[in-house]
This record gives sequence, C-alpha cells and structure tokens, in this order.
Amino acid sequence: MKPFALKNRHHGLKEQIIHFCLISAATVSILTTFGVLFSILFEAIEFFQMRSFWYFITGTEWSPGVDDSKFGAVPIFAGTFMITLIAMAVAVPIGLGSAIFLSEYASDFLRDKLKPLLEILAGIPTVVYGFFAAITVAPAIVNFFDSLGIHASFNSALASGIVMGIMIIPVISSLSDDVIRAVPDSQRKASLALGMTQGETISSIVLPSALPGIISAIILGLSKALGETMIVVMAAGLRPNLSWNPLEDMTTVTVRIVDALVGDNEFNSPDTLSAFALGLVLFVVTLILNIISISLIRKFKEKYKVNTL
Amino acid sequence: MITHKSILPFMVGSLFAISAATTAQAREQIKIVGSSTVYPFSSSVAEELGATTNNPTPIVESTGSGGGMKLFCKGNGLNTPDITNASRRMKVKEFEMCAKNGVTDITEAVIGFDGIAIAQNKNSAPLLLTKKQLLLAVAEEVPTADGKSLIRNPYKKWNEIDASLPDREIIIYGPPTSSGTRDAFEDMIMKAQTKKMDVYTSLYQTDKVKNKGYKKYHKIRQDGVYVPSGENDNLIVQKLDKNPAAIGIFGYSFLMENDDKVSAARIEGMVPTPTTISTGTYPISRSLFFYVKNSHRASVPAIDQYVKLFMGENMIGNDGLLAELGLISLPDAQRTAIRASVMQHKKLTLDDLTNK
Amino acid sequence: MSNYSGSQASNPFYDPSLNKRHFKAKAFKSFSIAAIIFSISFLIFFLGDMVYKGLPAFQQSYIQIEVTYTEKTIAFTRKAIDRKYRKVVSRAWLRDIPKRVKANPELLGTTQMTWVLLNHQVDQYLKGHYYKVKAKDLKLIQAMQEQGKIELHFNKIFFTHGDSKIPENSGFKSAVVGSILTLLVTMVVAFPLGVMTAVYLEEFAEDNRWTQLVEVNINNLAAIPSILFGLLGLAVFIALFGMPRSSPLVGGLTLALMTLPIIIVSARAALRSVPDSIRQAGYGLGLTKVQVVQDHVLPLAFPGIMTGSIIGLSQAMGETAPLIIIGMIAFIPDAPSSIFESATVMPAQLFTWAGMPERAYVERTAAGIMLLISVLISLNTLAIYLRKRFEVKW
Repeated sequence: MKPFALKNRHHGLKEQIIHFCLISAATVSILTTFGVLFSILFEAIEFFQMRSFWYFITGTEWSPGVDDSKFGAVPIFAGTFMITLIAMAVAVPIGLGSAIFLSEYASDFLRDKLKPLLEILAGIPTVVYGFFAAITVAPAIVNFFDSLGIHASFNSALASGIVMGIMIIPVISSLSDDVIRAVPDSQRKASLALGMTQGETISSIVLPSALPGIISAIILGLSKALGETMIVVMAAGLRPNLSWNPLEDMTTVTVRIVDALVGDNEFNSPDTLSAFALGLVLFVVTLILNIISISLIRKFKEKYKVNTL
Repeated sequence: MITHKSILPFMVGSLFAISAATTAQAREQIKIVGSSTVYPFSSSVAEELGATTNNPTPIVESTGSGGGMKLFCKGNGLNTPDITNASRRMKVKEFEMCAKNGVTDITEAVIGFDGIAIAQNKNSAPLLLTKKQLLLAVAEEVPTADGKSLIRNPYKKWNEIDASLPDREIIIYGPPTSSGTRDAFEDMIMKAQTKKMDVYTSLYQTDKVKNKGYKKYHKIRQDGVYVPSGENDNLIVQKLDKNPAAIGIFGYSFLMENDDKVSAARIEGMVPTPTTISTGTYPISRSLFFYVKNSHRASVPAIDQYVKLFMGENMIGNDGLLAELGLISLPDAQRTAIRASVMQHKKLTLDDLTNK
Repeated sequence: MSNYSGSQASNPFYDPSLNKRHFKAKAFKSFSIAAIIFSISFLIFFLGDMVYKGLPAFQQSYIQIEVTYTEKTIAFTRKAIDRKYRKVVSRAWLRDIPKRVKANPELLGTTQMTWVLLNHQVDQYLKGHYYKVKAKDLKLIQAMQEQGKIELHFNKIFFTHGDSKIPENSGFKSAVVGSILTLLVTMVVAFPLGVMTAVYLEEFAEDNRWTQLVEVNINNLAAIPSILFGLLGLAVFIALFGMPRSSPLVGGLTLALMTLPIIIVSARAALRSVPDSIRQAGYGLGLTKVQVVQDHVLPLAFPGIMTGSIIGLSQAMGETAPLIIIGMIAFIPDAPSSIFESATVMPAQLFTWAGMPERAYVERTAAGIMLLISVLISLNTLAIYLRKRFEVKW
C-alpha cells in the first residue's frame, strides 16, 4: 500500500488532468463524424455547382464520360435498392430463424457452440465474400437459369444480393438473439401456462414484445447492406440500370464511388466529383436509418428496463 | 485477476506519443502512380530495379490515369509522386494544372502500344467484324436503314446488323466509363467513324450547343447489350468462357494469357498480334506513356536508373521483358528516337500536346 | 366445441384444432432449425472451398540441375545453367544468383547440383492446372520427372517474399508486415481513445445534452459505411495533415476511427457489468473517483474490454474498402520497415492478386484467404476464451 498522504497532495490537479483527457477522448468520436461529413460535403457542393441537384435526385439517366454527360442517380439508387432488397430477403428470415433457434430452442451447450460459428460468418472479410460471389455464386446462378431457359447476367444483382445477405445474417441474428433473450421469462411462462404451444408463445408473445429490437436489428443490417462495398465492386455490374429484373446487372452507390475515384477520369471533372455527391446521399441515408434504429431500441429498453443492449 | 494499476496513465501517455510522431521524412524510394494498364509493366520494371540494384523497389500504385495526373500535378514537394503512368496522353487541362502548381519540367516517355482485343469464347464460330459493324453494335443511337435519321439502337442479334454475320445474340462485356481502355475504344471505333458520318454530324451542325454530343458521337448503349465489367479483366474472361455468345473488349495481354479460353475476333480482317499492332495494321491500339517529374531527379537519384532501365532494350525492346507481358514494342526507329529524348530529359511543352 | 367424436369425446378439454396447432409449432421449430443449419453449412462449404483451392499454393516445384557460379555467370545469370533449362527455370531464381554468391563467397568458381525453382507455367502443369509450356520443354520436364529430379517442396517463398510480378516469386510477407504495422497504429490509437471514452461516459459523465450527443454520435459512427471513412482519410490525414499516402500511418488512423465505436460499446458494457458495490466500497475507504476507476473498476472490466478490442481488431484486419481510397492497393515487394513507408495489407493484397492475369495467382489468393481467415478465427477464439475465462458472475 502506498502512503496515501503523499498521493493526496496532487489529487486535485491529477484528477482534473485525467478528467480533461477523458473528455477529449470522447470528443474524438464527434470530430470523426463531422470529419466524415465535411470531407464529403465540400466536393459534393462543388459537384452540385456544376450539375443540378434536382436532376441528380430525380433524373433517370446516368451517363458520365461523354460531352453531354448526365448525372441522374435514380438508376444507381434503384440498383442499390434491389441488391439490398435481395440481401434482406436472404438475411432476415435466416438471421431471425437462427436467432429464434439460439434463444428459444437451443440448449445452453448448443448455443455456446453455434453462436461463435455464426460470428465467424461476420468475421469473414468482405473481399473474400466478393470473390465467392463473383467466382462461385454468379456462374452458378447463370447456369441454373440457363437450364430453365432464362437469361441471367454474370453481374446479376441476385448474385451479389445473396452473398451480401449471407454476410448480414450474423448482424441480424446476433442482435435479435440478445433482444429475444431480454424478453422477460415471465411472459413465456404465462403463455405456456395458458396452454399455448411453444411455437405460439414465440410467434405471438415473445416476438411481438421483442419487435422494436428486431426491427432495429434489421435496420442495422439494412444500413450495412447499403454501405457494403467490396462484394458489389467485385460481383455487381457498373451499368446504371433501371429494372425490376434481379437477373440483370445493376450498379450501386458504393461501386460508382470507387469507380469514379480510381478511374482514368480527369480530376475535378463532374465524373470524379459525382463520387462525393453519392457519398453524401449514402451518409445521409445511413444516418437516418440509424436514428430510427436507435429510437426503437430505446423504446424496447425502456419497456423492459434492460440495460445490456 | 489482472491488476493493471497504471492502465489509465499508460493509455493517456501512449495517446500523446502517437500524436507527437512527426510525418515528414526524406525519401530514397521512387513513388509511381497512374494507369492500371501501365501498372503491370511499370511494376515489373520496378521489381527488376529492386532486385538487381541497391535501390529499394519503387512503389507502384494503380490509381487510374486521371488520378495519377492529379497526384503528380499537385506540386514539387517530395511527398508527391515522381512518375505517373498513363494509358493516354496528358491532357492540355492537366498540363495547365501541373504548370499552375509549379510542375513545369516534365519529360514524356512513350513505352509502346497496348492492343485492344475483341475476343470471344474459343469454341464459338469465328467472328469477322468491320469497325462499322462494331460501332452499330455498341452505339446508343444508330442510323436508320435509309441512313437519314438516328434511332435508338434496335440490334439484338449480329445478323440484324449485317446478314453475313452469324445469328447470334449481341452481348458485349467491356470496360466501364472510367477506364482508359474505354476511352481508347470510343476514340478508335466510335469517334473516328461518327465524326465522318453526316447523319451524326448534321445534328451537330443544326444546334452546336444542344447537340454538342453529336460532333463526335461516342455514346455507348445502356440497354444491357453492352455490359460494363470493371477493371478486373479476369472476370470478363470467365464470363466469355461460360457464355459462347458473348464477346469481350480488353487489353491484348489478357487475351494472350487466356488463349486457352478465348480467341480474338477479326477486325477489318486483322487479328491482334504483336506485328499487326506495332505496324498499325490492327486498327484498335493505343500508346502507353509515363511522365517524369524532373525536379525530383536530384533528391531521388534512383529515378534516372529506373528510367534508364525502363527505356532499355531489355525492357521495351522487341524481345524485352515487357513484350512477354503483352506490351507491343514501338517500331525500332521510333524507339531509338524516344529513348534519346527521354535520356536527355526533354521538357514537355504545351505544343507537344496540342500538335498531335 | 360442437364436434365431439371418437374416444376423445370423453375428454372435455379436447380441442380439435390442437393437432393443427402442434403441427404449426413443429413447422415453426423446423424453420428455425433450417435457418441455423443453412448458416452453418454455408460456412463449412465456404471454408472447405477455400482450403481446396488454396492448399496447392503451399508447395512449389523445384528441379535439380547443375548451376555454375563464375564471374561470368554473375554478370549474365542466364548462363549459369544449361541452355535447355532456360525456359523452365524461374527468372527470379536466376536473378538472385549474385545475391546468393555474395552471401556465400565460397560458391564462386564451383558447379553445384542444386534444387532450382521452376517457373509458374511448369509449376501449374505439375499441379495439374492449366499451363502454357512448349512441347519440347514439356518433354524435358517429363524426362526429369522420371529421373526423380523434380520435386514439390514446401513453399517458403510465400512466407518470406513480398508481392512480385513473377508468380512463383510472390509471397504474402509484405502484406502481413503491412497489416501488422497498420493494426499497431489502429490499436495504439483506438484502444486508449475507446476505453477513455467509455470510462468517461460510464463513470464520469453527467446525463446532460453533451453526453447524449456523444452517445448518439457513437451509434452513428458505427453505422457509417466503411468506404466513407476512406474519403475522410483522404481529405483529412493525407490532404490536410500531409501524411504520406499509402502508409500504415494513414491506414491505421482511418481504421482506428472505424474501430472506435466497437471498442467503446464493448468497453461500456464491461464497465457496466462491474457491480456498484465495488465502487461504493472504494468511496467508503476514502478513494477518489479516479482512484476507484483506475485501481478497481478498470481491472475488473479489463477482460471484457480486451474481448471487445480483439473483435474490433479482427474487423479492422479484414477491411479493404477505405484502404482502396487512401492508396493502400499498391505494388509493394519490400516489406515496409516503418509506419511512414508505403504498404499494403492482407485483404488488399488478395484484391490485387485476384486481378492478375496469370493463373498461378489464383491458388495464391486462396492460400492468402486461408491464412487471413485462420488468423481472424484465432482472434475470435481468443476473444471468446477471454470472455469465458474471466467472466465473473456477480
């Protein structure tokens, strides 16, 4: 034990310094958000000085690189939306199903073994998923639909969507699992005591209680899908394509950002600056989704007074 | 139980240690940026330099021609690149930007040609195309049957363009808008023809502002027939392998490397070979360049050695190392002339860029 | 309940819809089981696929031939071996002859029977993949094979070399070193910052607007797409602060900002799990707040903080998108020796190799993936172990 009398002498100052350091650390995260915003904003503004903002949001023709280049981003948003939709169609049922199994049916032993395995899925680098999508999944999809006599593109939205969905499974399952487990056991017991089957208990008692949390998990998965880059850079197309057919090739916001920034375009041309305009849209959309997600989770927390989420 | 009594002060300390670290430092390693097409050649030379001399291996980054110019023209500071590679000539705008930032002493080096191959699955029936047919397959708007007006490209099969062509679906995997290969393809296949076709140019004559795009029309269709496929040409090759109907547009070196899977279509009767490309009889090829910032030569002495090695016969010569990688050598006389001008560090002027 | 029938008529509690309800419950259960089985079997298929594709890369073919070391062959390394082998032997191996002689001067003037590296085309032929070798050379190889003069050796080059344009000479080392340097920067910045922020929010902050802003902000930070952090790195660290492009410093700082929220969230959870009684006891003994946190709360929360940090670290290790933007996709044969030199990282190297035209890079990419994933799985296992080992139930 150190002589505390000696330590006491410097207490005030030391405590103040440490307190100051802690506050500065917390400030870094705020600075980062603003840093991201401003590093996109200035160039985006430069872009919108050259091109109409309104056409960017509502125009349906994206044709950079020509003399009368047009920057209507709707086809790009549509492609992003389509791929995200496919990803969610894969990830939500499977992720939620996995979460229900882990939290409601699995024994503790099984849960301990399975959950880390699912987390490995989340840990696989997205470059690796990208290869898998481009080299294994995309040709498989083309072959499958060819045998049905339907033409599918090698850059189909379906291929990158499915693989992206697999990537997002653990995002949804992990958070949903936590939320479902946080629903008080008394609810389950009451329901079972009333003679409901376990399936009914889960689907009409537990899941509705956990719904805000589950939706928040889905939204988190959604914003992950919107911002995912490597899978689509490697497996999705580059053609802005306004279509409902998931077997066609489509492009996404992130693909266009990478393509514009590492391409052979002239600098300070609208072609390059469009990357920042798209980045700004991506930033704003994920921000809004996140705010919705946070408020849902907060509601859930307040309802059940849980503090571990 | 872990007892880290000093965790907090330690963390505060390490935080300050990292923020105190300075960033400026001297450099002996060459920094190269630029085109992804020149990247394989440039990095091979870099590797040779590192392996056979005492210099550290230069860093080669593939940023695209435009991105490279941007970094290169930023100024004369030592944290800017020494050399930028380009799959096209420096543009006047870029030269002016360089000049504005004080980068005035630049030497231009032409290293050879890159042929652009139109390729298809090896097992498909041979395809003989003219440049005109290729234009009609890829353009967004094409002349009507009577040749008087323009319509949205209706062709879905090759034999609709010309009865002599096979009854095959048109599907083309090619470079995206940001790629230099696309620029070259547009220049040589599209602009070269449309600027001479009245049906396009007459539209430009009627309204020079609104119809500016028709002066040298080079808009590629976006209805799914032409599929922009990224810089990763390996994936294009795989797609051709799987789809016998498709054709692909990519660099000659990729064709050479994958000749078990794909073969070249004949354009105007020619297939791309080193000879047809360097003599110019094969119609779709372009020059490759690199630009040296002469103001760095004093502070980064390895630059001279790198340039000398690159321009040497062992590299860009007919039997040089780069020929093995798919670079097409310049004709002998031109090669000698350019080597001489590069070795004398000839200063690039605006006139060089405007008089082609 | 009008439909009484059969033996069940005697049971007043019999509900005819019961079978249906039980069936539904079963269907629901099988759906959830199917979901988890799908996820796990995908994982197994995926890992198996990578191992199958990547294993051949851990061996490389060599040929046993005579090599002459003289002054002349040092100047013209091609002359060191018999003319007939020139087309099958690796150019990189010959190129290194002067270095080899420098390291072993007694070699000079001798002729040695040596195992010489074969080039990638021959190597691919021997591994049963697509190859491009001339018939004449193929005959030579087959003849040598019958004499037992061609062998597959363990591929040391893959672990001791950096990237190369000559496939058989390329390795993962400079990417591994680059990753280590980058992640070092990441952890040195993100770990203290993250833990300090967590300590501030959990132990010191009052619940005011400022604190709420910080909290909401941390959540937002976690949701910002990684590629936008690349734009931040480009604009702030490279353009504004003038840090060297492509360096582990810039990469590490960019990844640190991305990892920050993960560390903060897990550190907060760990701090929260330390029971209040510990703090009260500390105050009761007259300790100040800082002392209580530093000497009692933090050590107890440490395993939990480590778990979160390791998970953050493994996320950062697999990240590629922001690094494309700040120029870490480059040709880096020599491993960087400081955080200021240009470097590449493991996933970026995989991205580069995948774009190479030579087939020999395919197996190297898969091998690199194997290596990267095994590191990531080990890190995750370590995190789980820590969580289990030090988890305290209060």
